[in-house]
Formats: sequence, structure tokens, C-alpha cells
Amino acid sequence: MPDAPLTPDKRSLDPGDGFVPNPPAPFIELGVTTCFSFLYGASEAVDLVLAAWKMGYHAIGVADRNSMAGVVRMHAEAKVAKMRPLIGTRIVLVDGTTFLAYPKDRAAYGRLCALISKGRMATPEGDWQEKGRCDLTLDDVAAHQAGLILILVPAEDIAGLTADLPRLVARLPSLTHVAVAHLYRGDDTARIEQLDRLAGQHGLRIVATNDVHYHAPERRPLQDVMTCIREKVKLVEAGFHLHANAERYLKPPEEMIRLFARWPHAIRQSLVLAKQIDFSLEELRYEYPRDDVPEGCSPDDHLRILTEDGAARRYPDGVPPKVRKALEKEYAFIRERDLARYFITIHEIVSQGRKLDILCQGRGSAANSAVCYCLWITSVDPNQHDVLFERFLSADRDEPPDIDVDFEHERREEVIQHIYNRYGRDHAGLCATVIHYRPRMAIREVGKVMGLSEDVITAMAKTVWGSWGRSVGDMHLEETGLNLRDPHLRRVIRLTDQLIGMPRHLGQHVGGFVLTEHPLTQTVPIGNGAMPDRTFIEWDKDDIDALGIFKMDVLALGMLTCIRKSFDLLRAHKDVTLTLATTPKEDPVTYEMLQKGDSLGVFQVESRAQMAMLPKLKPKEFYDLVIQVAIVRPGPIQGDMVHPYLKRRRAGETGETIDYPRPAPPHDRDELKKILGRTLGVPIFQEQAMKIALVAAEFSGAEANQLRKAMATFRAKGKVSDHKARMVERMVERGYERDFAARCFSQIEGFGEYGFP
Amino acid sequence: MPWEEAAPERDPAAPLVLAEDGPHGPVIHAANDAAQSFGAARGGRVTDLRGLCPDVVVEPADLAGDAKALERLALWSRRWCPWSATDGADGVVLDTTGSDHLWRGERGMLTDMDTRITALGQSVQLAVAPTHGAAWALARYGAGQDMCSPADLAGRLALLPVAALRLDGPTLLTLRRLGLKRIGDLAALPRATLERRFGRDGKTMLTPLRRLDQALGKLPEPIISPAPPRRYHVLKRLPEAVMDPQPWLPDMMATLCADLARDGRGARAITLALYRVDGITRQFHAGTARPSRDAAHLRRLLEKHFEQLDAGFGFDTLALEATRTDTQDAAQTRLDGGADAEVALATLVDRLSARLGAAAVQVPAPRDSHMPDRAEAWAPALQRIGKGRLADTLAPAGLGGGGLVAPPRERPLRLLQSPERIDVLYAVPEGPPIRFKWRRKPYLIRKHQGPERIAPEWWRAPAHARLRDYYKVEVEEGARYWLFREGVAGDGRGAEPDWFLHGIFP
Repeated sequence: MPDAPLTPDKRSLDPGDGFVPNPPAPFIELGVTTCFSFLYGASEAVDLVLAAWKMGYHAIGVADRNSMAGVVRMHAEAKVAKMRPLIGTRIVLVDGTTFLAYPKDRAAYGRLCALISKGRMATPEGDWQEKGRCDLTLDDVAAHQAGLILILVPAEDIAGLTADLPRLVARLPSLTHVAVAHLYRGDDTARIEQLDRLAGQHGLRIVATNDVHYHAPERRPLQDVMTCIREKVKLVEAGFHLHANAERYLKPPEEMIRLFARWPHAIRQSLVLAKQIDFSLEELRYEYPRDDVPEGCSPDDHLRILTEDGAARRYPDGVPPKVRKALEKEYAFIRERDLARYFITIHEIVSQGRKLDILCQGRGSAANSAVCYCLWITSVDPNQHDVLFERFLSADRDEPPDIDVDFEHERREEVIQHIYNRYGRDHAGLCATVIHYRPRMAIREVGKVMGLSEDVITAMAKTVWGSWGRSVGDMHLEETGLNLRDPHLRRVIRLTDQLIGMPRHLGQHVGGFVLTEHPLTQTVPIGNGAMPDRTFIEWDKDDIDALGIFKMDVLALGMLTCIRKSFDLLRAHKDVTLTLATTPKEDPVTYEMLQKGDSLGVFQVESRAQMAMLPKLKPKEFYDLVIQVAIVRPGPIQGDMVHPYLKRRRAGETGETIDYPRPAPPHDRDELKKILGRTLGVPIFQEQAMKIALVAAEFSGAEANQLRKAMATFRAKGKVSDHKARMVERMVERGYERDFAARCFSQIEGFGEYGFP
Repeated sequence: MPWEEAAPERDPAAPLVLAEDGPHGPVIHAANDAAQSFGAARGGRVTDLRGLCPDVVVEPADLAGDAKALERLALWSRRWCPWSATDGADGVVLDTTGSDHLWRGERGMLTDMDTRITALGQSVQLAVAPTHGAAWALARYGAGQDMCSPADLAGRLALLPVAALRLDGPTLLTLRRLGLKRIGDLAALPRATLERRFGRDGKTMLTPLRRLDQALGKLPEPIISPAPPRRYHVLKRLPEAVMDPQPWLPDMMATLCADLARDGRGARAITLALYRVDGITRQFHAGTARPSRDAAHLRRLLEKHFEQLDAGFGFDTLALEATRTDTQDAAQTRLDGGADAEVALATLVDRLSARLGAAAVQVPAPRDSHMPDRAEAWAPALQRIGKGRLADTLAPAGLGGGGLVAPPRERPLRLLQSPERIDVLYAVPEGPPIRFKWRRKPYLIRKHQGPERIAPEWWRAPAHARLRDYYKVEVEEGARYWLFREGVAGDGRGAEPDWFLHGIFP
């Protein structure tokens, strides 16, 4: 399990930054190209929205080239900034004709997605489309145009347009506007006048836009570099591939009104268009497949039936009271959050796996629950182990539930095929993974475009340690011996820094499945993968989470295959029949081996660091192994928790008691002991750190959630220190020693560097 | 036999590899001895080698160039026999049947080959065998300068590894897994089994069985020897030395042009070599912009060289060669007798270049750049003229490199070499100009169009470079000018923006 996240932390706006809604602005920018028009746009949604908010916009459009990949980010950021996102796309046909397309409602949005899916899945001739391409023709657009607002983006050549426009108007009743831009071409006034007249002749209107490619003019160099990467040319040879000036930035409404002073109707039309659009991505929320629930039965009731049925098999002697209590609590929560269908669907897939005799195992935030145990999704008995359903239960975590299911890696394909058969290819699809520019790749591409020689690029790229750097700061360029004060090299480095983190292309997620109620192509565009017969949607799992669409990770775990084969061998040679549930627990001989560090090939404890720790920690029971796995990680090691824990453990063997810090009298004297008792007073798990904040520092749920998020975001160093002051002061107020409180927080910080959010 | 041509100034003891692109980064194509001592081997990853030997020099391999050089070598090796061809990427095969006696037998021929190729600075592995396959095998896997008679062919081959059979990677892998290491092992197997095992994957001629048969001479394997490229070469040996060779030139040139005309070709470059009796050779070169086989024209290009010709004791041999030729279709002369302007221009360029030097005659060439001052470059006329239609190359906003069309923006016919500063009255900050003073004369602007904003090319301009707002203006007298304001007030790149006059419209 990698400690660093596979995708870099997404930069996003913080709701805590006090965004107030802007009053309605006199203009709305509709022609916005974000960085998800890969290698066209040079600004991320965060920057665009922040810039727009500061300029006083109350709404902003998004229209990426034949793609919806960036709309969720735009939607989420705009929501945070209390702005209205207008979701659209920029349709570029094979003959170069370009439209901005904005759906008026959910149905039109579905058609637009279907249109893009068609271009991404099949060539105009009907063959299998290659990955990353989208070929559309006028016929395709005409077939999907109902409910769309189509805005023609005129090409350079107006004479050609004059000849073409009657044909387009005849084919496309939805075509109502022509986009005009004032880009300082020299003949702007004449051009816009001409377009205005031409549009009027065909009953169309003009609408102003600035053809935004970046949020600020300073981004032009990056956009130029991206153009060169896209066109595979060097910057000095790029010539007319590049734009002549840096005017394609997001301009404030006042500036747009000044530029279009002669054509105030073009400015007004942007508002008219926005008024016609009645669609928000929120309408896609929580779409669960319906057909798992029998007729005439509410999902909650059906879940209760399934769970009780499973519980009866789990506990043939009657459900223990502890589990019963947990179940009731969870039922209530699931009902409140309307999650029953989620559990039912996972249950369906897992039981199918069982039927096919494939070993599987659930995990994830929602998996630590009595319901999951009784549904046979997980095998962790809530009667024996403290399940941490609270982690998921906290109502402040307004995130969709998350259950990952591991299957035997050799047979996962069968499960995937089952999902396709059960829900149909038009309701089930794989998530995308956004591949971002990493330092090494970024410096290579920028260096090549800027004309650095191959060996200089190699020398610079070599200084990246590991592959997950987040900025040029993670590189050690001084080691190359190059003169870093050279202006050209400084430009390269600055551009590299800007390029890092930009999306590069979409890849296929390892196993994230999306299931929807509507046909999938009407929810999100689907594109072809590089593998034959694989398709994936344009959104990655963060986007899916942000929208709350049903998602389940169908993962492959080699160790499960290993266990399956071991069971088979046992049956064949020793005549012992075992299953995951009937494997003898707490086998002393096994622990003896583990205590010697004899763990080669044992999942989770086979690494060198783990093997070195085994003889020190001397696990005697299962929970010791849980701690062992958790403690040999950068977080606890950096938080200096390993040695205190080992010391306490040795002390415990000699019968010494552990002295827990206590608060002042009016409070519960043993509050920390309750939290840290199992780990001998040392916070090892992140849940424990959060609980300390909740209990000992009396953080509210929302505050704790902010703390968790602050810990997770690498760049938000400043915010963590706010929390530090708050937490330490409150703990001191409640009678803890200042020194102890500060140490507690530095341990939390240790998690922040490496922990799981 | 890696075909390396290391630069002479390089230290031969330093590790050097030639790299070609592999699917996962560059792989080694060839390595010198020093690099090989570090473990560099053909097909290995360059990255791995960098780990073993950090200061290895990596040069890109020129595979196409290698192939060309090998072709030349194959032609050159016809000095030993008339029938030769290249063999793969690193070999030459010669059919020496009936030629060896000219070199006092096969041994003598091999010795001569070795001496001469070594003298070229190349290392070589040689072998003579009754079949192509066997010679290939012995040259690469034999003891060195092997000679094999038909009688002991099978015996010699049996001891060689199976890789000597010219098989592909997967087949060799299969053979290794089957434990078949030597050709003898393979030959001992029943033919039917071999055919069944390897004959199915469509590679009918490349199976071990076929290759074995070819090596043993049971299957014919003819060598296809390409015809040598046509040379346009006229040699004239004079009965006695002459001081002025010019009278012989028209004849020679006529012969050369007749040769060219027969093949539908024209000369792009000609060389005249004059051999003096005292052993000194003089060579004159001339180039043309368009292929030409006009004897008078070509002769005129060489004329200049005879003006200061040091004849010494006279010349006894003249050689005229068209070193570079292109196809030239026969063209019909126009009915009205007029000459084609393009041909006339090319002729002029040829003659000017021949007289003044190719670098001295230049034409403007469009360059892809938004900056007006950079949108034009100068290129030698000999190379530009004659490439496509003349109108394309000379049009100011014509096709640029890469087939990308420049945005259609009107540019002044006359662009000043350097923009001239002018005083302008304009509405601050971004307003259009109202009147300006140029060369101490005031102008009142009647009409204007713009601004066209052109930002500096940030990758080559200094960081404080300012953008330009170009305006087309028409003054009261009716003349039209191209003005620009450098910078915008408040762009943080200097004081008040200055105005310049950059061009004049017709």
C-alpha cells in the first residue's frame, strides 16, 4: 500500500475562506477552456473560479474541447465560491467547425454526453475509435441537438462562414448565437460588425466571449509551451501555432463591457443565455441502480431482511446484544442518509463472487460495520473487534460511503464481466484516472520545447527523487551543476513548476466501477481505452465522489489468490478443508514464527522494515499485528511514536502501570485512557488522533473535519498552525499540561505528513 | 560489425555508445571498446549503462546513414567480383564464383579484402563458403577468415550455434528452451518434426529447416545484386597536354547533357576536374537552382574559373560530372517564343551565384513569427528558387514552414529596417493615435484601424520587453502608415509608452 496518494492532492478552494456570493454581474463568460482540454487550456478550475470571483462574476461557464472531464471540478469550485457554474462543452467537428454547446436541462445534458460518447467510441465510419480522439460530424450534432444552446465559434475566414452559415442554420435549429471575441487582432471592430450583420441576416444573435484559455495573462508562456507539446514542435519553430498575444485571459465584466461598447447586445445575450440554462450537475446525485430491490419493498426494508438473514447465519446462537445495538444504530444512520441501495448493490456483487467461489474481502470506511459483517461483505466480527463505523458514521463527513472489495487477482475479470452482464454496459463503467504531469515528465517536456539538449534534460530530470514530487521544490536542480541563474534556465524551471500538476491525459482506473440508474452515456461521456474492448468514463473517482454517484472499487489482490491456492493444496494433500471464516484463529505456532521475524512472503509484514520490527514488537495476538502494520509507517515513525510504544509494551510485561495524562477534575479523569487504552497510551491510528481532538480539546465535528482536511492538504501549512493554537489552548483550559498538549498535536502533524485523510 | 564513424577529435578511449529509440527509452545500438568494458552490449538499455558508467557519451545512431554507407560499401566491393549486395544491416555478401583466381585464390582475395577494408578504418570479419547462409554463419561465428569447401560444409556448420542460422528472436528462444544449441543438434532431428514444430507461423522461409537447407545448399538462395547508380560522367583524355582546355568543353558538355536528357534528368551540381601533367588536379564546382541540361548555360557557370587558371605545364585529362541530378521533364517552349519567367530567374540566380558565390545571392524567405520584424529571413537564392512555385516562395504572407498559414493580417509593403520613433497625440491609456510627427513633419490622422496587439516572443526577448499595439492609420494627405505603441501604460515595464512608425502602406 503506497503511503503517498496515487494522485496528487487536488488544489481546491477552502469553504472556510469566507466566499460571499457576488451580486449578478452584467456579463457571463461562456467560452472557457480549462486545462481539461488537454494541452489547450492552461489554467485549473481553482484558478479560474477564484479569478472570476474576485472580478465580481456571479456565474461562469465551462466548455472544454469535446469533453466533460473538467466540469465536475469547475462545478465543485464554483459551488465553494458561491458562484453558479454553467456546464457545457466546446464541440469541435472533424472539419474544424466549432460550437459552444450548453444544455438547457438534464435531458439535453444526457444527449450532449451521448454525442461526445459517440465521437469518442466510434469513428464517423463506425470503426473502433482510438483512445483520446473524438471525431464528430455535423450529422451527429444535428441528431443530438434538442434542448441544446449552440453558439457558433466563427473561424478566421468570414467569407467561408458566409457561404457555410445558411447550411448550418438549416441543419441546426438549436443554433441561436454566434460568439464574437475582441482579441486585439487589428480588425476586431470590422470583424465583429461583419459577424453581427451576418448573424442578423440569419436570425441569429451575437454573444460576447473572450475565448478564455487561462485565468491571467501571465499564463501565456505556459499555454504556448502546452501548444508546442501538443503540436510536437520546438518553441522557436512554433510560429503561427502560438497566439500572437496574451489576450485570451478571463477579463473582468467592466473590461468586456468596455471592449464591446459598440455592441451592448452581445454582452446582454450572455445573461439571456444563462437564464435559459436550467441544469446543474447536482441533478446527477446519488443514482443507484434500482433493480436490486424487489417490487413493493423499500430499500431500507430489503436491506434489513438481507442483513437479518445474514446475521442469523453468522450467529446461529442468536445475535449478541453488542452487535444488535450496533446494527440498530447503523440501520438508523443508513436510513437517514438513504444509503440502503448502496449496501444492497455491494451485497449483490459480493454474493455473486461467493457463488462463483471467488474469495473476496471488503474494506474501506463503510466496511467497518456490523451491517457489512452480517451481509457477508467483510469477515471482521464486530462482536470481537471494535469496528470503527464511527469513522463513517460521523454526519459531518458529508461524503458518499466507500467500500472497496478485493477479489482474487486471477479471477477479478469474471466479477467485472458479471457486473457488465448484470447492469449492462450502458449502466456500468470504469472510472478514469487523471494522469497529471509529474516533475520528471514536466521537466522533460518543457526542456524539449524550450530547446534544451537531451543530456541537460536528463541531468535535470535525474534530480527528482521518487516519482511523486509536487513542485520544482522537490527537485534538487543545484546538483546538476547547471547555472540556475541563467535566464533561459530560470524560465524553464518556472514553467516546469506551472506545468506540474496539470492534467495530461485520462487513463483507466484500476477497478473503480460506476453504476447508474440512467444509461451511463447520458450521465457522463464515455471514451475508449487503450485496451481493446475497454471503455471508461471521463471522470475520476474524486469527481464521482464530489457528485455522489455510486462507485465501488473492484480490486484485485494477489494474496487472495494465494490463500485460495493454499486452501486447495491443503484439501488435496492434507485433506483439510478450510475457508476464510473457519481458519483457526490465534494459532500460537504462527505467532512464534512471526516473533522470530520469519515472515517472508506474508502479506503486509514481509517488507524489510516490518521484518525488523517483528522481533521487537513480538506480536502475540491479532490486534498486535494490526498495530505492527500501522506503526511501521512514516507517520508514526516521524511522530516518534514507535519507541514510546515499544517501551510501554515492555513495561506492561513487567507489570508497570501506564500513567495517562488527566484533565482537571470536572471532566472525566479517564477520557484519554478510553481512547488510547488499546495502544498503551500512544496514538497510533488516525482515528485516535481525531478522537483526542474531539474529546480532550472538545473540537466540534465540523472543526475536527477541518482539521482532518488541513492535515491532508500538503500546502495548507498555515491552517494547521491555527488548529494547533486552538487545540493546545483548549486542552490547557481543560487542565492538561501545555507540554503534553503540544506533543499530542505534533503527533497529529506527523499524520498530516503521511497519513490517510 | 557496428558501423561507427566516431568524430576524430574525440578521445577514443572514452566510453561511447550509439543509441536508438526503444519502446521504453533509448537502447544501445553500438558501443566502443571502452564502453564494452563497462558491460555495454547491443540492445541493452542506455539508462542501465549510465548507472554502470556515469560518464558514458551517448550519441544518437544514424541508422539511415549507416544503411546508405553500407550500400556504398557493397558497390565499392565490386572491385573483387561483379556481384554484390548488402546483407542485413551490417553485412555485405559477394558472389565470388569465378572471380577468386584473379586474386590468386580465395585466401589471396580474403587477405586483399582485409587489407583494403582495414585501410578504410573499419574492422571486418570475413569468410568464404559455398552458400550464402554458410558464409553468413562462418563470418559471424567462425574462427576468422574462414574458408570452407563444399566437402566439409556440413561438418563445419554442425559445430556452430543455432544463432548462426539467421533466425529471429522468438525462434531462437524456443530452440534454446528445447535445448537445441548447435546446428548439428538441429540437423540430427527428423525433418518432419522440425517442419511441424516451426512451419506453422507463416514464416515459411525463415524456419530453422529452411534456413538449414539454405545454409547447406539444398535450397537455392540467389543474391540480388542491385545495379550501380547511373553516373553522368564524361572523361576526355587528350593526346597531348593543352594550356587551355576550353575548346573541349562544348563537346563534353553536349555529351553530358545528351546523357541527362536520355534519362529525363537535369543537373543540379556539376564538377569539372582538370588533371595537370605534373599530377596536380583542379576541380571546379557549380550549382543550379533548378535542374538543367542546357549545355550553354552549364558551361557559362564554369566560365569564371578559366579567367585565372594556372595551367602549369598543361592539362592532359578532363573529367566532367553531374554530381547531383534531379528529374527534369521535357518542357514545351511557348508558341509565342517567350521564355518562361521562372526558368529565366533560375538561370539568372545560377549565373549570379556562380560568379558571386552562393552565399552572396539571397532571397527573402517567410518565417513563422507574429513579430513583423522577424517574419522575414534571407536565404541563399540557389536553395530557395526552384522549390515549388515562385509565387509561393516570394509572397509576403505565403505558406510558412509546416504548411501552417499565417493569419491573414494586412502588412505594409515597405517595412522600415528599424522602427522610427515618433511623437504621437493619443487618448491615454489605450486610445488610438490622433496626430503624429515623423521626421519633423506633422501628420493629422483621418482614419485608423486597430489595435493589433503583438506580444513579445517571451522565450527570446528580455523579461522587460513590451508588447506592441499596431495601428493602421490614414493621414489627411491620403498616405497610409503603420504605427505602433510600445507597451501599455501601467504594464510595469517602464515609463510612458513610446510610439514608433514601422511601415508604409502603398
